[in-house]
Amino acid sequence: MPLKLASRTFPLWRSILICSSIIVCLGAARAETTVEIVHYFNVPGQLEGLANIQKDFEAANPDIKIKLTYIPFADLVKTTLQMAQVHKPPGISCIDNPDVRFIAKAGVLKDISADVAKLPTWSDTYPGPKHSVTEGTKVYGVPIGSNSLAIFSNKKMLSDAGVTDPPKTWDELTADAAKLTKSPVYGLVFSATNTEESTWQWEPFLWSNGGSLLDLTAAPAKQALQLWVDLIQKGSVSKDCVNWNQGDVANQFISGQAAMMVMGPWMLGQVHKSGLDFEVTPIPVPKEGEKPVVPLGGEVWCVMKGDPKVEAAAVKFIEFVQDADRLEKLCDTFNYISSVRSVAKKQGEANPELQPFVLQMDTARARPEEGGANYTKVSLAARTAIQQAITGQATVDAALAEAAAKIKPLAAKK
Amino acid sequence: MKQLEAIPERPATPLGAQHRVAPRRRAAWRTALTSYSFILPIAVFGVFLLVYPVLYSLALSFRDATVETIVGGDMPFIGFSNYEQSLADPTFWQALQNTVVFTFCSILFQFTIGFLLAIFFQNRFPLKNVLIALLLIPWIIPVLTAANTFKGLFNEVGPINQIAHLLGLPTVPWLASPGFALAATIVANIWIGFPFNFILLYSGVCNIPPEVYEAARIDGAGYWRRVGHITLPILKPVTVAVLMLGTIYTVKVFDLVFIMTGGGPANTSHLLSTYAYQIGFSIYNYGEAAAIAIVIIAVILTLNLFQLFLKRR
Repeated sequence: MPLKLASRTFPLWRSILICSSIIVCLGAARAETTVEIVHYFNVPGQLEGLANIQKDFEAANPDIKIKLTYIPFADLVKTTLQMAQVHKPPGISCIDNPDVRFIAKAGVLKDISADVAKLPTWSDTYPGPKHSVTEGTKVYGVPIGSNSLAIFSNKKMLSDAGVTDPPKTWDELTADAAKLTKSPVYGLVFSATNTEESTWQWEPFLWSNGGSLLDLTAAPAKQALQLWVDLIQKGSVSKDCVNWNQGDVANQFISGQAAMMVMGPWMLGQVHKSGLDFEVTPIPVPKEGEKPVVPLGGEVWCVMKGDPKVEAAAVKFIEFVQDADRLEKLCDTFNYISSVRSVAKKQGEANPELQPFVLQMDTARARPEEGGANYTKVSLAARTAIQQAITGQATVDAALAEAAAKIKPLAAKK
Repeated sequence: MKQLEAIPERPATPLGAQHRVAPRRRAAWRTALTSYSFILPIAVFGVFLLVYPVLYSLALSFRDATVETIVGGDMPFIGFSNYEQSLADPTFWQALQNTVVFTFCSILFQFTIGFLLAIFFQNRFPLKNVLIALLLIPWIIPVLTAANTFKGLFNEVGPINQIAHLLGLPTVPWLASPGFALAATIVANIWIGFPFNFILLYSGVCNIPPEVYEAARIDGAGYWRRVGHITLPILKPVTVAVLMLGTIYTVKVFDLVFIMTGGGPANTSHLLSTYAYQIGFSIYNYGEAAAIAIVIIAVILTLNLFQLFLKRR
């Protein structure tokens, strides 16, 4: 009967007092703000980098808690939008850079141009990454770091085939890939799968040749696609590349099925773990002396519109990360190139494998420079053309003409 | 089921016993309530997890639901525009055609192989049960594993082409050729799905009394005659169930094709499911993706109605 006893001896007002004081106490303990960060990072180095920065930030700001939420890549955009829709937005969403301006159009991202203007690193940020987060005068995020593409070569295979240096031009690429092809080993491997990955892997060749996704019927685009078609028709690249995503491409290279691959810095950790002797060089250019133009990858810290207190805390977190030393540490564990020039330079000097990527940063372009918020649709049309041409379903001219017809109305409406 | 049906109906209220009607009604009420309470969980489950999403998709398919409009919740009603947009896209028709071909070929071979195995296992022989267990493996293996295995087998330098090369046959980059990619996914799907057909047909075959066969044998019916005139007709209810479930499973296949080809090369092996995914999560047009999902449901319903019609004949 203890229950009955309690209810008799405890008057109502007293229990209310106790309850409310408990609530007040809990409230005091919860006076801190929680910033939820949604992301799709699942590589060990990236998770380690996030955990470290979380620990450092919480130690420096005891009144702010960081909550990291993992969401699979394909669901990040959808989940972020859904969370915004039910008015429980995360504080920060780590959005893939080509999607930022597109999601900003939904009106869920906070314009932080006033805050970034105060950051010393902002004026030192490369134009490409800056472009991917800027719409007019509005700035919708700060890049975590950048990545792009380069050529990874298997040193032993190159020396066995008598190739002294990795290819620097398209002619060398074609010749070397043929020389390195010895069944069952292919000279080169890239990804031409039915996702954004294939457009992304083709763009370095298109853009280095002065082409544009918005002008696919022009000669530079035709030449860039012809380069890929020739490589495949000569047997230097496996026809199966139309089904290989970048993970498969890396597996081909690591398992010794391909002598060279087109790949980004995020794979450096895995290639190292395999114990392979390799080197990284910039993307080959059409003619000697030209500069490679690569697309930019990498995610952006985007502040979601919501509770002003959370917004302020999220901005504080971004500012904290932009400290030069912390930024370098974070990008190193991520195997990303910092989007801030001075930090990237330091990374390149310390690590020769990152140097080609750092050198390419000056000319690197944000993907939505072509198509803006419609980039994803432009990319879909382009990769269909790539697949048609390299599987021989259509000629290079016909495939590109079809894609150009689909892209034309998209480019017109911004 | 039979036992439930066998319970005799309550005797009707005898005339002139009006004063007993009220408690009797209440008792009937209570019985009904008890019965319904048993199906309440599944009904709630069904409404929230099946009916609601389908209706939501249906509503979404008539709205302009893209990244820009979905957040404000003001997705404008646009009538049949999403459907028109889909129908105008040649990839949609390719995907629809692929779905039909994929389903028809998969079911045809899955059922034939399953049926032949079922009548083969009517015989008694050593290690029969072990073999049955082994045959179920494709059905047990996760599709993710099976799809990646087939991706490796159909590789340009994979085992299938190596064998073809040894035999002096021409080799084909299966998954990289527009003409063969779909066929390769069908082969994989047949392998995954035949045990399902086999085990259901086999359990049906086991229920056929041996006397029927004996009588037929005495009358002089040969083996295939017995199969055609005894096994098949008796198995008809099982066959209809197998074909119906098989069709539903096959029309909505997604993971297998998504992993093996991603709908490529150049969109030639898209099923409606992978195409809807591409529209929904690659270019973020949720409304049009919902419209395609509704078409998938319509395809499944049509095929099943057709099968029900066949069953009644």
